[in-house]
Amino acid sequence: MNEYVIVTKNLSKTYNLGKITVPALKSTNISIKRGDYISIIGPSGSGKSTFMNLLGCLDVPSTGQLFIDGTDVSKLSENQLAKIRREKIGFIFQKYNLIPTLNAKDNVALSMSFSGIRSKERVEKAEKLLNLVELSQRMDHKPSELSGGEQQRVAIARALANNPSIILADEPTGNVDTKSGNNIMSILEQINDKGETIIIVTHDQNIAKRARRNLRIKDGVVNEYD
Amino acid sequence: MNMIKDNLKLAIKNINERKSRSFLTLLGICIGIMAIISLMGIGEGMQQAITGELSSLSDTIVVSTGSISADAFGGGFEQGNGEYLTERDLSDIQRISGIKDISSILFAPSLISFNGEVKSVSLVGIDEKNMESIFGIGVLGLEKGEFINEGQQNTCVIGYNVAYEYFDDEIQLGNKIKINGNKFIVVGIYKKQGAGMSTETDDNIHITPRDFEKITGQSKSTSAIIRVYDVNNVESIADEIEQAINENHGDDDFANVITMSSLIESIQQVLSIVQVVLLSIASIALVVASIGIMNTMLTSVMERTREIGIMKAIGANNKDVLLIFIMEGVLISIIGGIIGILLGVIGSRGLSVIMTRSFGGELNPVISIYSIILGLAVAVIVGLLSSLYPARKAAKMSPIEAVRYE
Repeated sequence: MNEYVIVTKNLSKTYNLGKITVPALKSTNISIKRGDYISIIGPSGSGKSTFMNLLGCLDVPSTGQLFIDGTDVSKLSENQLAKIRREKIGFIFQKYNLIPTLNAKDNVALSMSFSGIRSKERVEKAEKLLNLVELSQRMDHKPSELSGGEQQRVAIARALANNPSIILADEPTGNVDTKSGNNIMSILEQINDKGETIIIVTHDQNIAKRARRNLRIKDGVVNEYD
Repeated sequence: MNMIKDNLKLAIKNINERKSRSFLTLLGICIGIMAIISLMGIGEGMQQAITGELSSLSDTIVVSTGSISADAFGGGFEQGNGEYLTERDLSDIQRISGIKDISSILFAPSLISFNGEVKSVSLVGIDEKNMESIFGIGVLGLEKGEFINEGQQNTCVIGYNVAYEYFDDEIQLGNKIKINGNKFIVVGIYKKQGAGMSTETDDNIHITPRDFEKITGQSKSTSAIIRVYDVNNVESIADEIEQAINENHGDDDFANVITMSSLIESIQQVLSIVQVVLLSIASIALVVASIGIMNTMLTSVMERTREIGIMKAIGANNKDVLLIFIMEGVLISIIGGIIGILLGVIGSRGLSVIMTRSFGGELNPVISIYSIILGLAVAVIVGLLSSLYPARKAAKMSPIEAVRYE
């Protein structure tokens, strides 16, 4: 197994807005080790979201290469990217982004259904993961019946469902109170302790400081700081 | 298989989530399928009623100097062109091999009086057995009473209009009427043949040839009914008859010969055209329904943009998303189709009751497995076609934009 779970080589992204081109991410070279705990901080408009979208294989770079688990994903087709997202990446969004019509258990099981895992196994695994995020009593509740913190924990369980190589969390505590936020952070840290690579995007210095490695983005340039 | 089951569950949840909208959408397809099933049922029922009864007469040839017409409601004879079949014609026919028997039909205008009122009615002299076997069939047949028994004299079977419309008082079974001044007892009344009926049975009085000759003095006939031994020879014998009579009269168009099997064929042709027209009208409902499904699915795709983005972010590929939406459209359509089939079965029964009441006759709708399968297949195809465009739109969404969508 590759030691580096993410490697970028001159990775950049430029947006064409009519006649002007906007360099959202300038040539970036970083490597992230398996099991690392990374924070990315930056003001809005800094290129933070662009970097996240590239790392999460939601978008393709304009130039340069991105290796996820040793695979160059910069030239992959839409469906190949979907496969990488399914197998390698677990997303946690600021606004939880659960499917409103499905209960907690089905939300966690959904991403496994895209990988073709059998229904019985999906349910067992979903239950196990919901236990892990301390939601065993709330499995049959729909998102609208759960608090923000609970919804985010369901989202964490969902992110873990396909045993991804990377957990990408975009402002995971942005929409919850401090207590729930701490709870979510400690769950993520427990997961990290078990060897999972965690990347957290945040604007909160206190959250960022909890990570082992800190990255800052400003005007499309990624820098490391202590 | 696994994926289909998952998508099906998801589709059921989504349809359930938007109950009233889904219901209204499936109502469209339901109405379309209902129309198709009930019209097919009625059409098939008509075919079977008419051809079923007529096919027992497939050994029969009708020869006439006038016109013989046939349509969806039966066939009939009309007063000819003033020409009669001669004795020579009849004996020539008899000489053709393979003929079992021949009996002539006599026509004459007559004056009928009942309770002092006098009306002019067409009088038909026809063998008792032919009265029953030709006019007793299908939608024809008796409303009341019975056919004239062999050997009975001065009895008649009268048409529906003659019984109920012609005179101020309705004629009842057993009533005495005067035909050209001779007393006759009404033993039977034909069913109403109704609209589109070319046979004049509604306005005719049927008596035996013997009585006919007695009161009119006329023994010459305009038409004859011929039976053959072998059904397979019926067409060739018909040709021979036509040739023989036309030769006798030196006129290529003198005789009009028709076999019951060709009658059945032309009736079936007319029925098929009627059915095609009705089904085309019904399919307009399906086109409208499919626009309805497309509209609902497009709205659904719009509303669920964010959901589509989430699914893509967590690993759904374009095909997964495509199938989720197609499954939903097809499911709405199938549910509508099933309800439509059930309502169509009920509807065809209702329709046949209404048709029987207003046109007379007997009509039992026939719903075949074939038409049920067709109904379901149409539902699936309509669902598939109308959800394809919305589903493709959903599948092609960019996950980044979709996740950001508020």
